[in-house]
Amino acid sequence: MGYQTPYAPTRTELSSCIQCGLCLPHCPTFRLTGKETDSPRGRLTAMTAVLDGITEIDEVFAETISFCLGCRACEPVCPSMVPYGRTLEGARAEISARQGGVPRRLRGWIMETWLGSPAIMRVITWATALVQRTGLARIAPRRVRSGLRGLRRIGWRAPSLRGRTFQPDREPVATVGLLTGCIMGPWFAEVHQASIALLVRAGYRVVVPSGQTCCGALAAHDGAAEGAARLAVRNAAAFRGVDYVVANAAGCSAHLKDYHHWAPGEALGEAWKVRDITELVADAVEDGRLPRLEGGRGMVALQHPCHLRNAQRIVTQPQVILEAAGYQTASIDPVCCGAAGFYSILRPDTSARLGTDKADEIRRSGATLVASANPGCEMQLRSHLAGEYRVLHPVELYMQALSGTTEGQV
Amino acid sequence: MAATLTGSNTKLRDDLIRLLGAERVMDSTLERHLYAKDAGVYVGNPTVVVMIETTEEVAQVVRAARRHGVPVVARGAGTGLSAGAVPEVGGVVLVTTRMNRIEEIDTENRTAWVGPGVINLDLSAATTPFGMHFAPDPSSQSACTVGGNIACNSGGPHCLSEGSTVNHVLALEVVTDTGDVMIVGSGAPDPIGLDLRGILVGSEGTLGIVTRALVKLTPNPPDVRTMAVAFPTIEDAAATVSGIIAAGLIPAALEMMDQLMMQAIENWLHAGLPVEAGALLLAEVTGVTEAVAAEAEIITSIAHGNNALSVQVAASPEEREILWKSRKSAFGAVAQAAPDYYLHDTVVPRTRLVEAMRQVYEIGERYEIIMMNVFHAGDGNLHPLMAFDASEPGRLDKVKAAADELVELCVEKGGVLSGEHGIGIEKRHLMPLLFTEMDLDAQARVKEAFDAEGVFNPGKVLPEGSRCFDFGRPVPEGAWV
Repeated sequence: MGYQTPYAPTRTELSSCIQCGLCLPHCPTFRLTGKETDSPRGRLTAMTAVLDGITEIDEVFAETISFCLGCRACEPVCPSMVPYGRTLEGARAEISARQGGVPRRLRGWIMETWLGSPAIMRVITWATALVQRTGLARIAPRRVRSGLRGLRRIGWRAPSLRGRTFQPDREPVATVGLLTGCIMGPWFAEVHQASIALLVRAGYRVVVPSGQTCCGALAAHDGAAEGAARLAVRNAAAFRGVDYVVANAAGCSAHLKDYHHWAPGEALGEAWKVRDITELVADAVEDGRLPRLEGGRGMVALQHPCHLRNAQRIVTQPQVILEAAGYQTASIDPVCCGAAGFYSILRPDTSARLGTDKADEIRRSGATLVASANPGCEMQLRSHLAGEYRVLHPVELYMQALSGTTEGQV
Repeated sequence: MAATLTGSNTKLRDDLIRLLGAERVMDSTLERHLYAKDAGVYVGNPTVVVMIETTEEVAQVVRAARRHGVPVVARGAGTGLSAGAVPEVGGVVLVTTRMNRIEEIDTENRTAWVGPGVINLDLSAATTPFGMHFAPDPSSQSACTVGGNIACNSGGPHCLSEGSTVNHVLALEVVTDTGDVMIVGSGAPDPIGLDLRGILVGSEGTLGIVTRALVKLTPNPPDVRTMAVAFPTIEDAAATVSGIIAAGLIPAALEMMDQLMMQAIENWLHAGLPVEAGALLLAEVTGVTEAVAAEAEIITSIAHGNNALSVQVAASPEEREILWKSRKSAFGAVAQAAPDYYLHDTVVPRTRLVEAMRQVYEIGERYEIIMMNVFHAGDGNLHPLMAFDASEPGRLDKVKAAADELVELCVEKGGVLSGEHGIGIEKRHLMPLLFTEMDLDAQARVKEAFDAEGVFNPGKVLPEGSRCFDFGRPVPEGAWV
């Protein structure tokens, strides 16, 4: 049978794996089970086996591929530079192309239409705020309870930033377009406020294009490839003309950087450049466009979101920002926290196991605060830390330090 | 492609599921395919794959396999290169990755009892707080298991001064062909009686299955200096190696790589390697500070005497780490040159390094194969890396022919078949180059003594007909059968 969709893993991508096995110990699922089927090398060999007609896309294949967290910890350690994340998305697209039925269609519809629509997100936000205030979260199904417990306190509705422009008080360094995202806008409004304030102070002109939509990362990771491609095309058009697209959720910035897999070249244009907020802010600190504050604010446990560290190789920047804010950082093992987008809902047991390990490590680190540059990780950490620690985005901590306040929402 | 299970194999599978539970027994087409090979080029055909967790389970699996007349092939992380863990004739692949407990660290005697599935580097990481490490350091050490190291008597860059795995194993708990458990060796440095421990280390899973090992831990040196020396040609680098050894020094490690290799690594790692140079020599000296400084000076002057272009000394632990990372990730980086690779492993006397290297490149040119070199120069342990595209018809056969020629070349120069990867399937047909019929018969008799029915990893290491009365082989004159 082989593969059917244009998103399928290609021979060139797959043959770059030489099966040396250096990825194995870095893979969280391999570390859990010790099985080749649950390792990056095994998954790539499985994808090649389908290409070669050795096996079908059957249940064993689907399980192998869906057990993967998509953390891409295998990528930075791969001397052959295999584009694992790309092949994973391709394999998932192939699996969903074969799964008909209501659950699969419903998932695709949620990933594209719900997340891509501000109106639907407003309704979801309102409903979530209701759940938070009535204690309904306690009787929610287990697979969503952890996520609900990890949310910040959500307002009934968040003011929209779309269509607005923020000018620095001097000649702009560059114009950046801020991705408001699906949940970042309504659920993490403070991160947007801190991002905009810091960018403007660093000399950027910040525009928030109104035609933008969800980046499509969750759709792409779940195999809803067609939906992901449509979202990418919409964003490519909305952000035309900016110098950089900037996102403050690691999962979004990583996916935006991979848009050449999803949108045709002519839609994207040559000027498509994406930065994570931590890159722009850390650069500004190092150039002296943003100040370094005095130390002594305490110790922050710095969690490295996989899509920052592994997918974008952004390793030092969050630390630069926290140090500029006057914090010391405690280094945490970069292994995936188990949030992994919708993974925590789809496979709650594995997710909880990794989340518990991560929480234990943070408790041992001696830190009094936790920083994470990705909303999914933040929710996972807060949930598994059971409210013992404040968990914030590094740019929020920096902005709070700059404005002389340590207030922040838990 | 793997064959489907026959009736009797279904019964074997059912027995194994009864023993271990369904989650730990794998026999779908895909699962068997994923366990059909290691990191090398040979492909086998597993009947069923089991994840084992205890010594008792290993014994039970061996007994069950024996009852069903099916062989057992042990496997760790599958990073081997000579097909030692490839189930050539089918069988139960017994995976040890879950036996990964470091059971006991004895800091006073500097030893540790470990499971075979412990990752080599994890053991060193666990013993770092006590100022110790596990000395064998194969390039795959971040992934490979101690069990695999024992099976292949693995080496690594630092085996120049520390010796290979056999020098670091004191005792083994082994499951025998009858499914019994025995312990060979002891904590004592000098084994009493016949040294079965020495026979089991390097036996590539053909004599028994190691379920626990008592390993020696090595104190971390008080000081270390790592130097990267660039040379215009590989000959200059090789002459420097010979010079260092002739001067009476035994550095902790002496590693060499050629220009093509450096370029591939640099492309991935951005380690700042001198990619314009013809060859790079990594030299590391360890010991007390004064000795380290003196030895580094001698090495530097020998290098300059051999046209060294630059001598870069790692100024921090991070710089040292990146130099070693570049060396140890080398073989993975070749995928940038071609989709497949064959990493070879042979040994020449280090006095003949220069001429051997010249011939290695000649063989590459003759077979039109990209030949990259990265190797343990201090030991004369060559690792020619052949990059190729296996999907080209006939290409793999050519590569295998070139590989055989490389071995013949090394043996001719007074070297041996393998430095550290093991024989497995890869080199067993070349064993007669080095061993007489009497030699091979002696080895086959050892195999027979441990495993008369051939339960463990059949067909590996010894070529068919090694035992003198094997069918179709002449009996040496005067031998009594």
